[in-house]
Amino acid sequence: MLLLISISMFILPAVFSLVIHNYLRHGEMSGRRKAVFLLVYLVVTNIITFSVSYIRGVKGFRFSDMTLSYRLKYMSLGIVLGFVMPFIVCLLTEDIITIGGFIRYGKRFYRDLKKYLPYAIWSAKADLGAEVANSYLNWLWWLIEPFCMMLIYTVIFGYVFRASEQFFPIFIFTGITMWSFFSRSINGSVDAVRHGKDIITKVYMPKYILLLSKMFVNCFKMLISFGVIALMMIVFRVPVSWNILWFIPVLMVHFLFTFGVGSIMMHYGVFVNDLGYIAGIVLQMMMYLSGVFYSISKRIPEPFGDIIESFNPVAFFMSSMRNAILYSTTPEMLLIAVWGLISLILIALGVFTIYSNENSYVKVI
Amino acid sequence: MTKELAIEVKNVSISYRILNNVSIRSTLFHHKTRDEVFEAVKGVTFDIEKGGILGIIGKNGSGKSTLLRSIAGVFSPNSGSIDLHDHSVSLMALGVGFKPLLTGRANIMLSGLLLGFKEKEIEERMDEIIEFAELGDFIDRPVRTYSSGMHSKLAFAITALLETDIMLVDEVLSVGDERFKAKSLAKMKELITDEDRTVIIVSHSIETLKELCDSVMWMHDGEIRKIGEPEAVLEEYKQFMMA
Repeated sequence: MLLLISISMFILPAVFSLVIHNYLRHGEMSGRRKAVFLLVYLVVTNIITFSVSYIRGVKGFRFSDMTLSYRLKYMSLGIVLGFVMPFIVCLLTEDIITIGGFIRYGKRFYRDLKKYLPYAIWSAKADLGAEVANSYLNWLWWLIEPFCMMLIYTVIFGYVFRASEQFFPIFIFTGITMWSFFSRSINGSVDAVRHGKDIITKVYMPKYILLLSKMFVNCFKMLISFGVIALMMIVFRVPVSWNILWFIPVLMVHFLFTFGVGSIMMHYGVFVNDLGYIAGIVLQMMMYLSGVFYSISKRIPEPFGDIIESFNPVAFFMSSMRNAILYSTTPEMLLIAVWGLISLILIALGVFTIYSNENSYVKVI
Repeated sequence: MTKELAIEVKNVSISYRILNNVSIRSTLFHHKTRDEVFEAVKGVTFDIEKGGILGIIGKNGSGKSTLLRSIAGVFSPNSGSIDLHDHSVSLMALGVGFKPLLTGRANIMLSGLLLGFKEKEIEERMDEIIEFAELGDFIDRPVRTYSSGMHSKLAFAITALLETDIMLVDEVLSVGDERFKAKSLAKMKELITDEDRTVIIVSHSIETLKELCDSVMWMHDGEIRKIGEPEAVLEEYKQFMMA
């Protein structure tokens, strides 16, 4: 049994990468390419994983006194890497990314953003209007829905599971608000192009504008919820300090990260029909790992809690937000900056992939 | 005297890849699904002077709409080039890009913004468009409640009144009731007499093309069969379709 785990902890991540890579390439890889990529992934994942464990103090492999927990950690870091790497490799090899091309696309992105932003905003406004036009309670639903969710979760987790944090209702409300922005945007991004079919077959627009307009709708709802949170903070007499201003950068990075992931998902969503199901499952899993209902660092035993909180961006954004507005502590600035940088890279990859492929979107759907 | 060119289409080919949509099952169990390539437009070259009106005719599936979409910038051609000399362009086609849940008014705004107009410019012409479309109270109801006739009336009104330099008309002229048909034909004539406006009309109606165009292009299987004076081309097309 242990032998099996020892072998699979080195090999499994690479195999996992290869399956995803093959999938992203529409199963068109030849046997030789498969072998080459398997080797590349095998080497790269193990080098990265080993160097991480080296930094953390494991200087060499001694299989005899290796703990099960170490093996599992090694494997799961490998699998996380194995999941991320094929996406990056596929994006980079989609077309040759050169400095000149990078600058050209960057300029185009800026120009297009300026040109189409009014459309995205107007479209979001109109969608919001249409959403409530035919309901009895009108825009009140934007308040009622998250509020009721908060009540349900507070009762279930607070009284049934006896989870408790300081200011528990607000704690949960913050989590739900930020999570539903993320999950709605990602879910929407997968079939954004298919939904906008009527429009994009008639007029040209950069396709990420569809995503952006959808995100503005979600963002507006998120801001309303934050308004409610502010009210609740007054009611619960939450002590407030200058740390509350961290609210702004955290929210910005949260938005950028969602846009980055969304734009990549949007691209693959056009070509891969069943990506919607995968996204649903991964999001569900991620929700429980993000600490919407509980504090990760307190509930999950050392050292996993801290690991999840810094490696899972959504969990990190949530806990930083809670720290800033509820517990008057300064969030980790360096980590916010790092995640901001990663978000920008994701956006660049996603947007440039969309630019170089959007021509074929209209023909495929 | 050589007139300024509005549209230059050079050696344009457009192809569709069939079978490009994958699912997990198909990648796992059917290796190597070769993509079939279907060439819709093959090496088409033509140009239109500023203010010219070109009619395109041809049987179904001969690549007319594909060519038109490509000129509108919906997708760029696989090879060859299309040069619009920085003119603004709008495509008028059946079931224009409306969002079904939004009202007619909101859709006018959105279409206008996508065509590159400013919010103010659209608001100025809003009333004119609504009046021309003859929708009455329906303008404030969601577009999904519209009949197909109302749909195309609104589409026509938007493109006809928000004036772009180049208008591409894809078989929209034959919809609506008799009265609206007459009105839209009159509006088309008015737009066409404008010296600065360049128009391409795709239609199956020989009568319409004869009346409006100053040259006609006959497309067959993605290639130009004949281009020139309306009378001659249309006569030959008629002969071909009869046979």
